[in-house]
Amino acid sequence: MRQDRNRDLGPFVPREGDERIICRCEEVTQGEIRRAVHDGMYTMAEIRRYLRCGMGLCQGQTCSRLVAGIVARELGIKPAELAPASSRSPMRPIEMKVWADEETDDSKVRRA
Amino acid sequence: MKRYDLIIIGAGPSGLSAAIEAAKRGMKVIVFDENARPGGQLFKQIHKFFGSKEHKAKIRGFVIGRQLLGEAEKAGVEVRLSATVIGLYPDKEVVVREILEPEEGTAGETSAKEAVFHYKGDAIIVATGASENMVTFDGWTLPGVMGAGAAQTLMNLHGVRPGRKVLMLGSGNVGLVVSFQLLQAGCEVVALVDAAPRIGGYGVHAAKVARTGVPFYLSHTIKKAEGTDHVTGVTIAQVDSRFQFIEGTEKHFDVDTICVAVGLSPMSQLLKMAGCEMDNSGKGGGQIPVVDESGATSVPGIYAVGDVAGIEEASSAMIEGRMAGIRVAEYLGFDDKAGADTAFDQNEKALEGLRQGMFAPGNRGKKIEKTEEGIPVSENLLTHGFVADDEIERYPGVTHKAGVHPVMECTQNIPCNPCQDACPKHCISIGSNITSLPVVLKDSACIDCGMCVSSCPGQAIFLVNEDAGPGKATVTLPYEFLPLPEEGDEGYGLGRDGSRVCDAKVVRVRSSGAFDHTALVTIEVPAEYAMKARFFVKA
Amino acid sequence: MRTADVVICGAGVIGCAAAYYLAKKGKSVIVLDRDNSIGNGGSSRNGGGVRQSGRDPRELPLAMYGIQHLWPTLSDELGVDVEYHQDGNLRLGKNERHRKILEGLTERAVKCGLDVRMIEGDEVRRINPYLSDEVVCASWCPTDGHANPLKTVLGFYRAARKLGAQFITGESVLELKKEKGRLRYVITDADTYCTEKVIVACGYESRAILQTVGIDVPMTKDLIEALVTEAEPPMFPQMLGTADADFYGHQTNHGSFVFGGSAGYDAQNLDFGHLATQSNNAPAICRAILRWVPKLADAKIVRTWSGYEDLSADKVPVISNIDEVPGLIAACGFTGHGFGISPIVGVLLSQLACDEEPVLDLSALRYDRFRSAV
Repeated sequence: MRQDRNRDLGPFVPREGDERIICRCEEVTQGEIRRAVHDGMYTMAEIRRYLRCGMGLCQGQTCSRLVAGIVARELGIKPAELAPASSRSPMRPIEMKVWADEETDDSKVRRA
Repeated sequence: MKRYDLIIIGAGPSGLSAAIEAAKRGMKVIVFDENARPGGQLFKQIHKFFGSKEHKAKIRGFVIGRQLLGEAEKAGVEVRLSATVIGLYPDKEVVVREILEPEEGTAGETSAKEAVFHYKGDAIIVATGASENMVTFDGWTLPGVMGAGAAQTLMNLHGVRPGRKVLMLGSGNVGLVVSFQLLQAGCEVVALVDAAPRIGGYGVHAAKVARTGVPFYLSHTIKKAEGTDHVTGVTIAQVDSRFQFIEGTEKHFDVDTICVAVGLSPMSQLLKMAGCEMDNSGKGGGQIPVVDESGATSVPGIYAVGDVAGIEEASSAMIEGRMAGIRVAEYLGFDDKAGADTAFDQNEKALEGLRQGMFAPGNRGKKIEKTEEGIPVSENLLTHGFVADDEIERYPGVTHKAGVHPVMECTQNIPCNPCQDACPKHCISIGSNITSLPVVLKDSACIDCGMCVSSCPGQAIFLVNEDAGPGKATVTLPYEFLPLPEEGDEGYGLGRDGSRVCDAKVVRVRSSGAFDHTALVTIEVPAEYAMKARFFVKA
Repeated sequence: MRTADVVICGAGVIGCAAAYYLAKKGKSVIVLDRDNSIGNGGSSRNGGGVRQSGRDPRELPLAMYGIQHLWPTLSDELGVDVEYHQDGNLRLGKNERHRKILEGLTERAVKCGLDVRMIEGDEVRRINPYLSDEVVCASWCPTDGHANPLKTVLGFYRAARKLGAQFITGESVLELKKEKGRLRYVITDADTYCTEKVIVACGYESRAILQTVGIDVPMTKDLIEALVTEAEPPMFPQMLGTADADFYGHQTNHGSFVFGGSAGYDAQNLDFGHLATQSNNAPAICRAILRWVPKLADAKIVRTWSGYEDLSADKVPVISNIDEVPGLIAACGFTGHGFGISPIVGVLLSQLACDEEPVLDLSALRYDRFRSAV
């Protein structure tokens, strides 16, 4: 979607709840997210890279919806207009010794 | 690389159903699930399901789970548990983290060895379900604030009571059902709160919570959770039509637990990772894959079913799963088109049946003023969780008769009809339209067997004898709490709103296998409370 | 039609840095990117190395200048913590073949005046006790380091935007157009821009854009991958690399480790239209980590990603005025090591665009150096 990054969002005005943590994994607050939008971070990918929200152990499963709501409100758009950040493996955090160990014989897998 | 005809990710209701249909048609099917137990959310659903026979109505969720597992085993489906899918890669390759059998001589090792395995499927069905949404308020990260589904897992899978005094936020079916289950687990539910002006879930689910005395606060939401290292209290306040707090409406409750039931988000990351076209409009509860009616995504051979393709009930997820399983079998040549079409159409019809009535997907967010029969919907039910005494008589299931007779306080058009099959004397009729309100047939003879009471997933049927001796009436009500009252217990009859309306005495307690753990408690009340007393508490 | 003194094609770290330094000089700048997000190419996908060691002598002066003059103050300059660390780079070797490679690199760098030396295994482990006992030697450059690429590109963007640079994302450049012998127009799928100078800094995509005015920079692209772990307690601050350049990584301020590596098929990997990762890469990177830094065995990986690097024919970037097309400047072919030199490249591009004498000699990085070998 074409986006001119220089539209005026007005001044940053502190709001109730700005101290509240939104991304629990990375401890990012509502105020930080709102400020980032005023700093020009207009996409979920940029917000994520700028603040790390959604980059923690849960990979945004809990907060991405909340973050999108805050960003959309700040930009004056609907959350659905924000493309979600991309999804990448691993779907669940995995120890590198486990991922490094590529077995081929699945007969050794423990069966329930 | 190990290859399967079909790999299914997620052993919940939709995944298992798909596996069964595919395996029945001769496919080599494997199902991976990250949990130690199969069944997804089914095994924590201890309530009876709605629907008709084909939807497994009046059967409790966990029993349906057992049935599905049995069916899957019989069909030759391989189910791998504690098997976490790490990624869904190009060429329909699935990478799975699995636990290995300990090698000989390593029995003393404390942790099992794990490794990753690569599998390819000619088709993949993603049935990964959904996760709970959260709302934020001051203190929302305090221990003691949890998803309602998490509370349900604690109670029903692990036997752990989540807390003692609980406030529930969210009046959808999850919030209502879990509130009831919290009460069953012995918690006190201090309030059921929703920012919306009307209750979102089924009225019957709300009514069975309300009659135990739980107050409903609509157009209210949480202002803050209190406590330093865990929740010790909560303050709610009323909101206006733009969901802004109204000054001076704050209410405080001492609680140790706050449950949040504000919807689910599809866990669709694997589909996105696989390059499936996604729909971010929010209509399915979050980001969902674009699918056709068989669950086929934009990537040939990759399907999505159940909540991951749009949030719905477990009942519809099971049918969607079957539909995808049938089409996948056809896609890979394990069934011909005619055979697949017949089976598919049958399931599609069943699915349509579930998507009828006031809560049909098309009615989401709409305020329905009248039932299909043209009866005004109870305003009190929508705002307080129970039908008011002066509203109840307008519904066709509520009639007066000499002797014992069913009173069906079923006031919304939902797709559900076990009651009409339950009555051996055919006293109850819903008719061919599954969402119609039940009526008591004239000239039918109730034999007080109680089958209708126990069959109603909404616990909305009572057997009433308005003239049980001089000035007395009896009310037989469904009762799913332990310990059961005993014959002779004295106490109070509670009204639909949960307030004590009269003295009551237990005259009969019935529980039998046929009732499937819904006990029937008959109380004797003053005659004028025959149509008012709907619950019992011991003095 | 919009006008600006300079139009920059590509909002990666090079384009954003150039925009910043140009805006600082008072130039009006428009930055265009076909992607929806700023810095969504290699700029946000690289390993964050800010190295001098291991570089070709032609680009080494850029790396050294940046480390001496720009990186140490960049966070203050941009008002964003770019997490720059100058704690050294260890390029590791496990055998004699590795040693030979490292000695060659070291010798060439020393000739250019870089403080880099060969050290033996024990000294390597004194610097970084977490490394495998199999490490027998390393080249050690104490003035190398690393930074956070995400914060750097967004920091340049933010600072440039504050100074008035215009950024438009989600708009593809289709064509460059000359007028009376000079480059004048940038035509996109949405608009036309009229300008005095155009900087093309679009990674591999630069090739197609430059071709619209008859300029070809020989380039290919590789699809490579990296991964990041959960946060770990602080372990070591150095940047790590290997003699074969097949593995690299560092620990970030956040505590997570970022590592890059490969199963060996970078040139053949397909992106399936959505920058797909390959199922064989992450396990290969994990095995490499375990071989070089075995103590990380239990660290959990939370994310992997892929990204393209634009490989120039001689593995050294093009940073050059295009003489045949007056007004056109190219900055591409960074071959996977552009991030560490991005601030100085931004400065140099701003100087070229203002017709100033660049602070460093760029003659070895000209666009027309690719001549027949026989």
